[in-house]
Amino acid sequence: MSLTLTCPICGERNGYEFRYGGEDKGPRPDRARLTPEQWCDYVHMNDCVAGVQKEWWFHRDGCGAWFTTHRDTRTGLETDGPDNAART
Amino acid sequence: MNRLTHLPTLRIRPESRRDIHYRGKAHPAAAGDTIATALYANGVRIFGRSLKYHRPRGLYSLDGECGNTTMAVDGVPNVRTETVPARAGMTVKAQNVVGSAERDLLGFMDALSFAMPAGFYYKTMHKPAPVWPLAINRIRKQAGLGAIAPDFEITGVFDELYPRADVCVVGGGPAGMCAALAAAEAGLRVILLEARPWMGGFFDYRAAAHPGGGLLHERARELADQVEKAPTIRVFTSAAMTGAYHDNLITAVQQGGDDDPFDSRYLQIRAGAMVAATGCIERPLLFENNEKPGVMQVGCAHRLARTWGLMPGEKIAFSVGHDLGLEAALDLAELGGRVVCVADIREDGQDPALAAALAERRIPYFKGWVATEAQGRPTLGRAVFSTITGTVQKEFSCDALVASAGFTPVTGPLNTAGAKLAYDNHTGFFLPTDLPPKTHAAGRIMGLQDPLSLETSGRLAGLRAAADCGKRVDDAVRDAEAALASQPGPERGCKLVTAPVKGKKTFICFDEDTTLKNVKQAMAQGFDVPELIKRFTAAGTGPGQGGIPGHNLPLFVAQTQASPDKHPRPTTVRAPLVPPLLAEYAGTNHDMSKRTPVHESQAAAGGKMERIAVWNRARVFSKSKGAKAEIENVRTNVGMLDASTLGKFRIFGPDAVKALQRVYAGDMTKIPSKRMKYAAMCNDDGCLLDDGVIVKQGDAGANDFYFTASTGRAGQTVEWIRYHAKYENWDFHLVNLTDAYGVINLAGPNARKVLEKVADADVSNDAFPFMGYREFTVNQTIPVRAMRLGFVGELSYEFHVPSSWMQALWDVLAEAGAEFGIQNFGLEAQNTLRMEKGHVIIGSESEQRTNLLDLGLGFLWDRNKPEAKTVGAVALRQAEHQKGRLKLVGFRMAEPADRAPKDGSPIVDDRIRGYVCTARYSHALDMPVGMALVEDELTPEGTRLSIFEDGCEGNLIHGEIVSMPFYDPDGKRMRM
Ligand SMILES: [Zn+2]
Repeated sequence: MSLTLTCPICGERNGYEFRYGGEDKGPRPDRARLTPEQWCDYVHMNDCVAGVQKEWWFHRDGCGAWFTTHRDTRTGLETDGPDNAART
Repeated sequence: MNRLTHLPTLRIRPESRRDIHYRGKAHPAAAGDTIATALYANGVRIFGRSLKYHRPRGLYSLDGECGNTTMAVDGVPNVRTETVPARAGMTVKAQNVVGSAERDLLGFMDALSFAMPAGFYYKTMHKPAPVWPLAINRIRKQAGLGAIAPDFEITGVFDELYPRADVCVVGGGPAGMCAALAAAEAGLRVILLEARPWMGGFFDYRAAAHPGGGLLHERARELADQVEKAPTIRVFTSAAMTGAYHDNLITAVQQGGDDDPFDSRYLQIRAGAMVAATGCIERPLLFENNEKPGVMQVGCAHRLARTWGLMPGEKIAFSVGHDLGLEAALDLAELGGRVVCVADIREDGQDPALAAALAERRIPYFKGWVATEAQGRPTLGRAVFSTITGTVQKEFSCDALVASAGFTPVTGPLNTAGAKLAYDNHTGFFLPTDLPPKTHAAGRIMGLQDPLSLETSGRLAGLRAAADCGKRVDDAVRDAEAALASQPGPERGCKLVTAPVKGKKTFICFDEDTTLKNVKQAMAQGFDVPELIKRFTAAGTGPGQGGIPGHNLPLFVAQTQASPDKHPRPTTVRAPLVPPLLAEYAGTNHDMSKRTPVHESQAAAGGKMERIAVWNRARVFSKSKGAKAEIENVRTNVGMLDASTLGKFRIFGPDAVKALQRVYAGDMTKIPSKRMKYAAMCNDDGCLLDDGVIVKQGDAGANDFYFTASTGRAGQTVEWIRYHAKYENWDFHLVNLTDAYGVINLAGPNARKVLEKVADADVSNDAFPFMGYREFTVNQTIPVRAMRLGFVGELSYEFHVPSSWMQALWDVLAEAGAEFGIQNFGLEAQNTLRMEKGHVIIGSESEQRTNLLDLGLGFLWDRNKPEAKTVGAVALRQAEHQKGRLKLVGFRMAEPADRAPKDGSPIVDDRIRGYVCTARYSHALDMPVGMALVEDELTPEGTRLSIFEDGCEGNLIHGEIVSMPFYDPDGKRMRM
């Protein structure tokens, strides 16, 4: 895992310090009117895009914050936003 | 051997002597010697035997570009002796020899080489099929490099370091040093990696004049001095780069020197920008017996003399294709060496001053000539030369033949970084055409040779790297570009690969014993691109990683015009660029573990300490089988357990309850004051993650809670709760107090009698009932949070105290309990005690797919709080009526005389139906009992279980389902 991540509290740090928390799927859905399939999709299914995705990371060996960042899954590099511009 | 002394370029300190052992004898080495130079100084010429043909091999490059000089050192095979320093007491052994390197009993293999064309093993040994296992056994004995003993354990200190830099410069030659200085001047933090033990590159050992004044080696030391003094440059010498990964992550392995506290060190550098200034190695000249000991490259011969004070031979012949070779011949003559002849591949284009100097010294000098054969046995004694066309021949007696066709840029670092290379007809090099972002190249790797051009190109690359790091250096970059344009550009390179020979014993790859003839055979069979020929002939797949054949193979293939692609194409280079040890990747085994605050007194009391996850815990104290004495003491009297490893947390703030509601299955709005609530956490599949107790602290209205987690789960609890609150913007604080508090479990029917003596509070059954929570002091001093719970099934208290008070409380309780015969109990006793009560331990009685309901803990789930979106609640609802799940049951042995089966034993009929979680002999019940996870059909009481125990040889043992808890089913003893 040779990447760096930018923690909103600690700044840019070695990727080894973080734990991946999955794609950003939005808040937990309401239980009412939820089919088992929809629930299973929310919990287990991922988009797995080849490109920029918004994702959660936990600064495990640092401040202990959960935060989201945009990362291009093809390069492992963080980007400034959902468009493909690599952070400089 | 006599060494040259008083040379300003020497890198040895003969006064600091150490011995290394080889062939049963101590060989003196000087500080600064590598293993290879030390052996050479002691007269060793044959360092080992080759892979297939067992040909003698010796010094060739001095930088470890081939396996010739790999040896076994202190039991470690394949050590590159040209790059590892000679350390006191080392024992060195030659590899791939039967007998000795000088007289190898398998030397006859060389005479059989005609019978082994390219692809020989692939084509002959696979039919009929039974031949292969026999053949492979023979081949493995005869061929291959070093051997390792199966039980060998490496010793040494293997350090690791993960530094950060703005700019990482790879290569500490003139270009690299100038790049580092330029980046440092721009205010950046620089890391410089140099594979050799010192900086200076190909300036370091040369006495030629620098165009800017002085000598090259003087300039090298001047630059090295500046680099060492620059406060923001960190230099790693003896550090060979192993690879570059995306976003400029650079790895290297560093050899420890005399003063380093490690033997080798793995480096992983995160850099903003990279400058590759790795220079050139030499491109071997191919002729008959071109790897005979005594044949060596120009840099090898020159550095032997200038750096280590060792003249490469008594009579030295040269066959070279570049001015550096002429310079070396002159310099060796200057130092007193006898140069018998110099053959120059080039007809013209030489530096006229060098040619004139050779004439002045009356050294026979032949333009357009080349060595065609090395003769002598086992080492060099004579060399044959001819014109390039092969028409006229001459012979010279010599014991060193310095041969080099040209140069090969060391592009491995750029390759692994993702650069594209293309053949350049002027230099004959594969030059980078397309560099990845924030990656630069400088120096000889670009084809430059002129000293000033090298320095300028280094400076330019350093400035461009600085620009990548956001420095405004536009003007300086423009100036450097202009300077470089005015200085000499890349020199035209010699492209000759092979002398006019048939190529039977002309080795294109030493490591794999691949000859020119093998390559021709491969091409005759239709392999027409270097990448395929490499695989068929194995050329370039040895420990040298293509250092010897990497350049010659594509050049040769292109020159034969057999390839569909007429442009030479390099074969792929991959990390690791130099062979690291697995121990170097493994690094120091920092086996870090935690001790509880009463660790010492536990150990002193005879506790058998055992590593459990991150903790050291006492497994047993007594010697009795199955901790019988400890168990009985808790059941009948009173015992004390150190439970400090429990996870302990505080959560507080206006939204603390919302966070608890989210992660705990139960209703966390109903936590009464002065009482504990038992609660469980599930994951989104409803599977049990953790259980523990929660108490309310402070006023009734305060949103302030203290809760416990199981030992194994404590490390993830904060992460888990915050993860599930991440979208909510809730206002709460969560603190991990696991290490800040210790816990003592006081358990047994006499526990209250002990506590009454020391507690400053009424602890009677009415004042402090089962499941109660109290805060009081002990002996007017020690602040205690006391919980009355019954994990072990007796009257039992847990005391949570600040870690600094742990030992004091332990001693107070031990003293108070002395009159009752209080004793320690350990994990083993606790495990049986809780098992008799049917209390689960997560991970013992549960696995990944075990949910709350499977364990019979459904009462911990409150299904009426949908607004909390409780983790696992949806899945529990869905699994409620699911068939085929494994359920937790209790069982006893069908034959009371049977012993308890081993934990983990499968439960079978015609297939596996479950497994035993924990089973122990219960002293309280006087029979073995256990808990198992079984398919739901097997759960009714009385069902017979067939248990397959490891090693039972088909004799199944049988159990019978009984109700749980086994011991004190009504729980009266916990409440007494
Ligand atoms: Zn952080």
